[in-house]
Amino acid sequence: MNIKKNFRVILPVGVLALAAVAWAGSPQILQPAGPGPSTASFTAINKVFTGDWQQYGQLFTSWQGGLFNRIFLLILTIVPVVFLLHYIIIGAKSFSHAGTPIKFFGILTRFLHWLAALSFSLLVITGLMVVFGKFIGGGPLVMSGRSVHLIAAIVFCLSAAGLFLIWLKDMLPMPHDILWLLIMGGYLSKKKKPVPAGKFNAGQKVWFWLATVGGGIMAWSGYTLYSFAAPVDQIRQMAILHNLLAAGLVAFFIIHLYMSLFAVKGAISSMLTGYKSREEVAIMHSRYKI
Amino acid sequence: MARMKFLCDVERCIDCNGCVVACKEGNQVPVGINRRRVITIGEGKPGEKSISVACMHCSDAPCIAVCPVDAIYQREDGIVLVNKKTCIGCGYCFMACPFGAPQFPSGKVFGARGAMDKCTFCAGGPEKTFSDEEKQLYGQNRIAEGKVPLCAAMCATKALMAGDANVIADAYRKRVFARGSGANAWGWDRAYGKK
Repeated sequence: MNIKKNFRVILPVGVLALAAVAWAGSPQILQPAGPGPSTASFTAINKVFTGDWQQYGQLFTSWQGGLFNRIFLLILTIVPVVFLLHYIIIGAKSFSHAGTPIKFFGILTRFLHWLAALSFSLLVITGLMVVFGKFIGGGPLVMSGRSVHLIAAIVFCLSAAGLFLIWLKDMLPMPHDILWLLIMGGYLSKKKKPVPAGKFNAGQKVWFWLATVGGGIMAWSGYTLYSFAAPVDQIRQMAILHNLLAAGLVAFFIIHLYMSLFAVKGAISSMLTGYKSREEVAIMHSRYKI
Repeated sequence: MARMKFLCDVERCIDCNGCVVACKEGNQVPVGINRRRVITIGEGKPGEKSISVACMHCSDAPCIAVCPVDAIYQREDGIVLVNKKTCIGCGYCFMACPFGAPQFPSGKVFGARGAMDKCTFCAGGPEKTFSDEEKQLYGQNRIAEGKVPLCAAMCATKALMAGDANVIADAYRKRVFARGSGANAWGWDRAYGKK
């Protein structure tokens, strides 16, 4: 049983490591041109400059020149509107607080969660400051935003690593997660029917993996963008990766905010006090063994 | 209006680096910043070729397209300039540039990149022309004085030409004709396209 469980972890990690090794490009080396017409030396020079630009330079230029902005703008408008409609049409779920509450999160978990929450919020805000820099005029304001982005990234990495270890066991995918996803966690109905979820539901699991493994990829690509310690074409790939993954993270960040603040009344108190009400656990985390 | 361009004649460049020194010294460029570089291909072998490269002041410049804060702009004469007070040092222009022109000094915080610095075609910057601020941030404004950029003025073999595109293209064409061989001016396809 343990081998099976471990395999679930080892497989994705191994695939990621292989992908990383395959991806790490070798630095460009000037090819000696030798004697020949000047067109030959042009080709050699082009390998250093414009020829290499064809690889990812053009792609990066066209995407950074419009696509990324639009993706972020869409996420920042569409996701909240969808949730507003959900709130109006279906509304929040509320649970009775009768009976002894159930211990859900320890003090270290809560501390690390709020450290991660604070740093992640700063990462989102300062990141969006860079994305939409032209609307706030750029200059020292956005530049100091970049410094905050760096510090927040370090804090987030440390706290997310702690949460990863604490929650890993409960976040492993389970067969009932598919059922949860099929009924969208029961959020599309007003009825209070027990939904198939253990300590964490499938949505929380997706957010967990995106924030930890995705966060690791963000840290890796972000470090490359910060240090520029890579061939320029690799930096371009990292910038594309960083922006696209950031769009996904921002979307899930808004989802997480809505779920914890609005979708389930008082959901946030479990991360403050560490306890969830008995009814909430019975409905939202029906397979959680007390 | 004249369209300003650089043209480096690969057959004439002798890798003396005079243009690099002239630019660094004349514009008081910060330490570690090279607005212009000389690249040598096949060094020490027969057929060795060198080329001097800086910002090409592209038409439809990629750096302008990617700048998230609109710090880079193009003048009517084609010269591409950066506003260092708006620049946030994100480095996107460096990733977009086919010529590796944008340079970044170390900033004050954790050695993060400061505002971008690049070749100004010796045309100063957005500050008031001939003001101390312009000189301190961007270097000389020789275009406003009616002179060609320092690098091209300094070039001993006149490999590096700068100025009105039609005039320098014409001069280069005559050279290629006289030599009986040669290729199109390096980098022009990428930098200027058909414009």
